[in-house]
Amino acid sequence: MNDMTPTRDQRAAALEGMGCKRKRVEDIRFTQGKGNYVDDVKLPGMLHGDFVRSPHPHARVKKIDDSEALKVPGVLAVITAETLKTVNLAWMPTLAGDVQMVLADGKVLFQNQEVAFVVATDRYAADDGINKVVVEYEPLPPLVDPFKSMDPDAPVLREDLAGKTAGAHGPRKHHNHIFEWTVGDRELTDAAFKKADVTIKEMISYHRTHPSPLETCQCVCSFDKIKGELTIWGTFQAPHVIRTVVSLIAKLPEQKIHVIAPDIGGGFGNKVGAYPGYICAAVASIVTGKPVKWVEDRIENLTATSFARDYHMTTEIAATRDGKVTGLRVHVLADHGAFDACADPSKWPAGFFNIVTGSYDFPTAHLAVDGVYTNKAPGGVAYRCSFRVTEAAYCIERAMDILAQKLGMDPAELRLKNFIKPEQFPYHSALGWEYDSGDYHTAMRKMMETTNYAALRKEQAEKRAAFKRGETREIMGLGVSFFTEIVGAGPSKNCDILGIAMFDSCEIRLHPTGTGIARMGTKSQGQGHETTWAQIIATEIGIPADNIQVEEGNTDTAPYGLGTYGSRSTPVAGAAIAMAARKIKAKAQMIAAYKLEVHEDDLEWDIDGFRVKGLPERFLSMKDICWAAYNSVPPGMEPGLEAVSYYDPPNMTYPFGAYLCVMDIDVDTGVYKVRRFYALDDCGTRINPMIIEGQVHGGLTEAFAIAMGQEIRYDEAGNVVTGSFMDFFMPTAVETPHWETDFTVTPSPHHPIGAKGVGESPNVGGVPAFSNAVNDAFSFLGSTHIQMPHDYWRNWKAAKELGAVA
Amino acid sequence: MQMNDSQRIPASREKVWAALNDPEVLKQCIPGCQSLESSGPNEMTATVVFKVGPVKATFGGKVTLSDLDPPNSYRISGEGSGGVAGFAKGGASVRLESQSPDVTVLHYDVQAQIGGKLAQLGARLIDSTARKLAGEFFESFATVVGGPAEPAEQVSGGGKSWLKRLTGAT
Repeated sequence: MNDMTPTRDQRAAALEGMGCKRKRVEDIRFTQGKGNYVDDVKLPGMLHGDFVRSPHPHARVKKIDDSEALKVPGVLAVITAETLKTVNLAWMPTLAGDVQMVLADGKVLFQNQEVAFVVATDRYAADDGINKVVVEYEPLPPLVDPFKSMDPDAPVLREDLAGKTAGAHGPRKHHNHIFEWTVGDRELTDAAFKKADVTIKEMISYHRTHPSPLETCQCVCSFDKIKGELTIWGTFQAPHVIRTVVSLIAKLPEQKIHVIAPDIGGGFGNKVGAYPGYICAAVASIVTGKPVKWVEDRIENLTATSFARDYHMTTEIAATRDGKVTGLRVHVLADHGAFDACADPSKWPAGFFNIVTGSYDFPTAHLAVDGVYTNKAPGGVAYRCSFRVTEAAYCIERAMDILAQKLGMDPAELRLKNFIKPEQFPYHSALGWEYDSGDYHTAMRKMMETTNYAALRKEQAEKRAAFKRGETREIMGLGVSFFTEIVGAGPSKNCDILGIAMFDSCEIRLHPTGTGIARMGTKSQGQGHETTWAQIIATEIGIPADNIQVEEGNTDTAPYGLGTYGSRSTPVAGAAIAMAARKIKAKAQMIAAYKLEVHEDDLEWDIDGFRVKGLPERFLSMKDICWAAYNSVPPGMEPGLEAVSYYDPPNMTYPFGAYLCVMDIDVDTGVYKVRRFYALDDCGTRINPMIIEGQVHGGLTEAFAIAMGQEIRYDEAGNVVTGSFMDFFMPTAVETPHWETDFTVTPSPHHPIGAKGVGESPNVGGVPAFSNAVNDAFSFLGSTHIQMPHDYWRNWKAAKELGAVA
Repeated sequence: MQMNDSQRIPASREKVWAALNDPEVLKQCIPGCQSLESSGPNEMTATVVFKVGPVKATFGGKVTLSDLDPPNSYRISGEGSGGVAGFAKGGASVRLESQSPDVTVLHYDVQAQIGGKLAQLGARLIDSTARKLAGEFFESFATVVGGPAEPAEQVSGGGKSWLKRLTGAT
């Protein structure tokens, strides 16, 4: 060996494997405008389709007259429910076991519902055609308030369900009821409340909002009549699921359907579901024999494709006088809109909301969720969170602050007192989950020390005294949030979508020159999979990350996977990558043993190759093993070096974190300033710290948006009044606060590389931190709970109601 | 959306009343009105171009006069559809008060409801737009009925665009 021989550290660094702040490889094309999105797909003779939508939230459709529309130059067809009935596609199944109109069939049930699909030679002609379609409506009374949905005289929304007393998740109590879901021990919990020294009860609402990715939902469908094959380019977070759904509902053989998800400009849950646009574009292509493109505009995206949240959570905690929690009781009224199109695993009508016991050791708990129909858009997707986990985290984190206030305890102290202890893991929660690992006390104390929490509380006390003396008009709030997520859906024993177990997959092929390709069942929408997946492979099998091409989104080439949402990519597909890599490594070891003329057991792995134990100069690099795999494998062995893994996780993963928001609010204007935001995340093993930091920044910015103003609001008549970025809060660099990030590392014991997932943690933990900061600021004026979103006007209104403003 | 206001018109109550019942006068005064025709006793059909914020649409609809108490008061109500732009319905109770033989004060009390794209995009502009349109209507009405002699006395919100009113620019 000469001086030029790289050291072990240099060899490891050259791999850019796990733990490396590797720059995102996909950003080379994204930052140069060279991405390839659905709207970049332009096919010869391609047509454009767009929707006639209902201005009414609830009305009978008396007549649709398309005669004038068909006279518009360029308009080729107007598809209505009647057209779709001829191919049995007027309705489609939802992921939640309900059915949904593709196009209005006799009735419209929410404003902007799809009524007719106009197909034309270009988008302008389609729009002109839409203006000429005359629809005669008979308005019906709208049902907007979910709390009135089960009134005896509430209007009947779903006439198609008349007489159906059984829904997909058990009995229905009322014509607008969808399901009741209960978990936990009611008797034990009621008993805990009877014995309790102290109880709190509060109706905590998590308002309706929307994932609003910058790229809206869209697709291009192209049907080849000769081959009988349908190709769909679309903004799909789960391309394989879309292929199966299309096959099932359009009765096309699955091998004749090709689904391609090219680059995606953000998903955040909005792009999980199947929408009428996809069905109509596919039918239009089959009817016309030409490719048909459908692209949502911003208003359509905000008002018609899947919303998020809209949970109204009546929350009660029982506790001892010294602040030990003894019971939790939650009732949720879930507004699902006109159709139950929630994108949850099939058996979970309220997602994993039963994570609502949070990070605390509740001896007993009971949860009931009632889902109801209203005249609002369908959906209920997990907007940058695992299924209903951000609702659960907001619920418990707000409730713990309310309890602290009632007990006169510091909210951080109350949390420390009730945390699940490190030695209790794996921990069985009162509502049925098995938490894999955690060290909550360490994370919380690190947050408190780094932010100098005690000094901030002291400052707050001084400011409050000054406020009362009339020396300042500014109030200060400290928002503590300690969240536990449940991500990585999921184990086949309890997670499926339409009967398909929620595994995920990876196929790795190594080429003779020591490079390779990894194909995945997941689909990045900006998460940076092309970068991080290669890093896992680099560490596992010693091929530099730069030499691994990652490919996702083409159902013809990718192994079947359930897609990317609910922070499942790293916990599930990340594990599949490691397992596929380990299969390759096992074969590589046999090849190396043959080449080095020793027994396999005499070899040891050393960063990027195998070495004979005790003979350091006898070494074969992975690069050389790749060549040998195509050239001189041991007798009886098949050539080549590739592997595929379908990973069925044994459990979910449970990332956690401790956040603190320091906020100042001017009571006279309601204007708030986020003085400081500290986010400590524990996502287990960290694959790429730079990408984690970016994910945390993005998730916190969305949490900030939601807590401080972002809302899909309906007026009493059922109009969406926040249907554009003029009214729907989308923070830019101007509004966004500075983020401080930090971490602890508690690996998942059951995951091959110990990783837990992080993309959604900041949204889950961030929303309660902001809301707790606002509530903490106002608490000394006598308030217990102020509903989100906390925009300037509502802050001012709160100050006024509390008598702080004349 | 609700608003009430009054307008001073330099004409006798009888003259004002006659004008309030004259489709030709109404057509001249309703902002954006392209046609207004009598379609029966106390009933008219109208086509109006209506603009709120970024939404502009042609509305076709029916206008009905009811609770007639000549020459003191009536109620005018209308319902129209602008196709993809949405729909609007509303009405106004109008009362005439004779201040002198040549001056009449017209009191109005308006309720209106909008739906569809108009409501989605224009919600925050509805109030100011409605006030502006009402102002324009009564300004023209005063001019048509009483001649251009006197400037309008009370036109809330009229004159300035919503943007100028928001920014305080003049």
